[in-house]
Amino acid sequence: MKKIKIHNKTWAIIAIFSTFIAIVITGCVESQKVASKGGAQLWAENCQRCHNTPSPASFSHEQWVTIGLHMQTRAQLTAKERDKIIAFLSQ
Amino acid sequence: MTITNKILKVLVLALVVPLTINVAWAQKTTVDSALLDRISALEQQVADQKPGESHFMVAGLATFGFVKSKTTFLSPGGPGVSVKTNSFGDADHYELSPMLIWRHSNNFLVEFEPSFDGSSIGVNWANISYFAAPGLIIHAGYFVVPFGIYNKKLAAGWIDKLAGDPNGLDMPGTDFGIGLSGGFPLGDMKWGYDVSLTNGLQLLPDGELQNAGIVDNNKGKMVSGRFSLLPLSNSCLEIGVSGLYSSAGDVGSNFTTANVKMYGADINFVKTFNPFLINIKGQYNRIVVNKQNYVSQADTTLTYSFDNKTSASFAQFSIRPVGVDNKILKNFELAYRYSNYTTPNSSTWGQNSYEHDFGLDYWITWRTVLKFTYAHSHALSTANIPAGGVGGTTNVNSIYLQFSIEF
Repeated sequence: MKKIKIHNKTWAIIAIFSTFIAIVITGCVESQKVASKGGAQLWAENCQRCHNTPSPASFSHEQWVTIGLHMQTRAQLTAKERDKIIAFLSQ
Repeated sequence: MTITNKILKVLVLALVVPLTINVAWAQKTTVDSALLDRISALEQQVADQKPGESHFMVAGLATFGFVKSKTTFLSPGGPGVSVKTNSFGDADHYELSPMLIWRHSNNFLVEFEPSFDGSSIGVNWANISYFAAPGLIIHAGYFVVPFGIYNKKLAAGWIDKLAGDPNGLDMPGTDFGIGLSGGFPLGDMKWGYDVSLTNGLQLLPDGELQNAGIVDNNKGKMVSGRFSLLPLSNSCLEIGVSGLYSSAGDVGSNFTTANVKMYGADINFVKTFNPFLINIKGQYNRIVVNKQNYVSQADTTLTYSFDNKTSASFAQFSIRPVGVDNKILKNFELAYRYSNYTTPNSSTWGQNSYEHDFGLDYWITWRTVLKFTYAHSHALSTANIPAGGVGGTTNVNSIYLQFSIEF
């Protein structure tokens, strides 16, 4: 029976890819500490990563919903973060 | 009339009157209920059409300013030549970019951002995004290719702490294609991805790369992506790595085997140490084009080659006393940036350059800023002079006064 040779480089790629997938599948759960964060805290923590924290009075609720989607595409916010920040800004 | 008849009449009246009242009341209630529903629907329609309550909105940014510069060029062994300029905004320091955004339900977002830079009208974004799942956004159109942190997140005038852009970080630019992006929690941490498949870069006859553009020059495509990790639960630190591969030669040219690899790393740290808000940002880009033979611009019968590797980087620090009571002082921000740009030695455009930028900003509102920036840059040519390059040293000192707003 012919043996199939697999190079070390290939094993390394398979190992890295498998680890990555494992992390994605098992690890994408927020901790209790993160889950308990409110919209105000997430607004303060995430917006200032790139720019000043926006005033809630700057836009209407409908506009904040649109801006929330827009910012999710730019800053890779999680969907929960986006929803909580919008809820805070729309108060 | 007998007593019996009287009793019957009273009984009939006693039954008919309450019944009539009951029917009338029921009709009244029915009418009122329908009327209320109708009023409610009209109120909703009015609310939907009220300005500022639409799914369509216009946002954007405008930057305007004054630049005073002195450029000194020292040719090898020759005299120095100085040129002074004073000007209001030019192509590098003026921008008006309104962004039209349409939210179609909560799953689709259409963005279109034309941009006037003082000399032409271009497009920064013309993109449709579909929010397929909590960690999956699929987008297609014309967009800023994901690579590093500066181009996509920090370049806007009302975000950038300094008046100009660091040199060499404009690659890979904006391109047509499709992409996926998203963010996920990871315990106390968070991670994100942003990947795309686009038309790609173009290798020019002298070995320079043309930004990703609107004309596809070959069958190959460009794969680009950035992965980010926010290891701390308060999201104050973000570390990103980027990679890119693109075929770059025009069909039918001498560069049909040409390809480009780009590597990048970036860091972003923002945290308040009361009363100061500390902001540290940095990025490193490396561009590698595989070995090619280029035609001399000085003598088209000659060809030459060089190691086509380019690197660009910046490191930026800013501090703002957000926690002090003084309402004026808390709006000031001090910023410094060092940037480095090294293009290939022995190419016709080879140089080693660096730039120092010192800035003092005043934040009028959270999205309106007045910037004062002093910049000093130094560039030493490493160009291939026989092939048509220019030797010498160039020093530029500039003072900017710039106003930028997001609307």
